[in-house]
Amino acid sequence: MRPDPTATVDDRVLYIISQLVPVQPSQIRAEQRLREDLGMDSVGSMELLSMLAEELDLDIGVEDITEVHTVGATIALAKTFLARKAG
Amino acid sequence: MLPRADDEVSGPIISQVRRFAARAIDARAIDRDAAIPREVLSGLAELGLFGLTLPEAFGGSGCSLATACGVIAELARFDRSVAVTLGLHLGLGTRGLTAFGTRAQHERYLPGLASGACLAAFAATESGAGSDLSTLQTNASDVGAGLRVNGEKIYVTNGGLAGLYTIAVATPGLGGSARGQSLLLIERGDPGLQVAPEEHKLGLRGSSTTGLVFDSMLLPHERVLGEASGGARELGIILSWGRTLMSAGCCGAARAALEKVASHLSTRRQFGRPLAALEVVREQVALLTARVFAMEALVDEVSRESEKALLVRSLAAKVFSSEGAWAIVDGAIQLHGGLGFIEDTGLALLLRDVRVTRIFEGANDVLLAHLGASELLQTSPPPRAALSEATASAALASAAAALASASPEALASPSAAALASASPEALASAAAGAEALAQQVDALQKSLQARFRIGVFRQPRWLHRLGAACVWREAIDAALRRARASGRADEVAQVSLLTQAARAAVSTLSAEPPPRELYDLCLRESLPRPEGR
Ligand SMILES: Cc1cc2nc3c(=O)[nH]c(=O)nc-3n(C[C@H](O)[C@H](O)[C@H](O)COP(=O)(O)OP(=O)(O)OC[C@H]3O[C@@H](n4cnc5c(N)ncnc54)[C@H](O)[C@@H]3O)c2cc1C
Repeated sequence: MRPDPTATVDDRVLYIISQLVPVQPSQIRAEQRLREDLGMDSVGSMELLSMLAEELDLDIGVEDITEVHTVGATIALAKTFLARKAG
Repeated sequence: MLPRADDEVSGPIISQVRRFAARAIDARAIDRDAAIPREVLSGLAELGLFGLTLPEAFGGSGCSLATACGVIAELARFDRSVAVTLGLHLGLGTRGLTAFGTRAQHERYLPGLASGACLAAFAATESGAGSDLSTLQTNASDVGAGLRVNGEKIYVTNGGLAGLYTIAVATPGLGGSARGQSLLLIERGDPGLQVAPEEHKLGLRGSSTTGLVFDSMLLPHERVLGEASGGARELGIILSWGRTLMSAGCCGAARAALEKVASHLSTRRQFGRPLAALEVVREQVALLTARVFAMEALVDEVSRESEKALLVRSLAAKVFSSEGAWAIVDGAIQLHGGLGFIEDTGLALLLRDVRVTRIFEGANDVLLAHLGASELLQTSPPPRAALSEATASAALASAAAALASASPEALASPSAAALASASPEALASAAAGAEALAQQVDALQKSLQARFRIGVFRQPRWLHRLGAACVWREAIDAALRRARASGRADEVAQVSLLTQAARAAVSTLSAEPPPRELYDLCLRESLPRPEGR
């Protein structure tokens, strides 16, 4: 089920990942690698960041990103951009 | 030609292949019988071609991908089924084993593969997993005594001939990966393997295409090829080799069609003149000639790339050469008139054979979107000198005028006039055109980044357009480098001419397409938009 806007960033990221790969949010863990563990290629991981930007209303440019390799790194990136937005 | 005939390593091998093919290959008989005669396969083996790219330590010749591409292009001039059979063996069939195999795997399989006693095949596609290979259902699980494999593969080239199959399977849990994929080596005689009957196809009828069924097979752990659950990365590397070899085959087919055009047009007379004297015909042939030149330049250049660069550049080579081969064979049929439609000419077979190349080794539309995304991911594109639009256009126009006034012979065959050196002005104008094209592509990319930000990765139709623009840029750049190296006037003129077409194409690609809603409305009755992503 789609988490509501008050859900934690972690939950919202896990939900978005579950939209891209056939894995339940409850089975996704921070240390999992996007490619080897979740079967996402580099373009898939950009699609993930793109969905994240839309879902969390973040202004992320293509030039801002470096490739993220794990679920944890994706969550951290989302938090960085949220903090930038807040202040 | 691909590579150039004077290439020290490839030249003699390609000459040998040409002599053999001219003597032993009968394309129409292969098409009619839907099989390659044993003598042809054993002839290829005697020439050492099945071991061409395999390591010398195991009976191969250790030649480069570029040399293999030269051989495949040459074979494809005579028959595409033969080229595909060998190309698949050298590319998708054995690349994984050579690159990722263990010493024991090499010792067990490579000698037979190099001698041609054993052919190789590769199976990734399934009925539910074609363009999207992330959803493989064929799976292997560790049951202690080995790996239990279940599932089915479809459309396996060399499926009916091969003694060794590299297959891609889902291996959840293997190597600690939740959704990993792995490559496995399957032997023809393994219990539980069934090879399905041959498919009946539009073209490539002499090339074997079958399904494979894995019915609760138990494989020893040593059959994992490369890293357990590292299959997705390895697959990318293998596919990039396969695509490049397949692209070389497209160059050979296109070259064969062009040769037929030249010989037909120089003898066929209508309206009291040879067709080769008609202006519209000449324009068409010049464009086809330029396109084949660019295809050969791009594929040859890409085949010399590092493993990493090949991953992306092979996409452009594949799309450009397969779309080009289709257009060139189609154009050749048109220029033959009714004769082109008759099987005796050989063009009908070329057309049927070439059709699938826009689909297999990755459907072109899928690859274009991938290429567009890869372009956006590239952090540092190569620097280019700035050049104004006006200079480029004026230079292009003068080069095109020079080509239009060239003699008919210069277009049909490399005569003395065509071989003459290009003037510095012609070279500069070709370079200016290529530069202007690169700037157009760059502008498209920048505008997409500014407009969509990271959201550009969820704009498949723009990724597709950007990919198509990149293909043109890659092709023109490679053609320019080749023409510059030769200094030949005809080649430089071909680059200029094709650049005009490329620039027009990229302008169209950069224009705002009609809104999605318009397409939806067109399809409201016939194909309503499905729910979901
Ligand atoms: C003669 C032959 C030999 C083959 N040999 C081999 C082999 O040796 N080994 C092997 O593993 N496979 C092989 N294949 C399979 C081949 O690689 C696949 O057919 C190909 O990758 C396309 O997959 P699909 O057929 O499932 O098409 P689908 O994935 O069903 O796609 C159908 C069409 O939909 C469109 N499309 C799909 N996705 C997108 C997208 N994202 N964007 C835009 N358009 C899209 C494209 O037009 C595409 O052609 C072979 C196929 C043939 C016909």
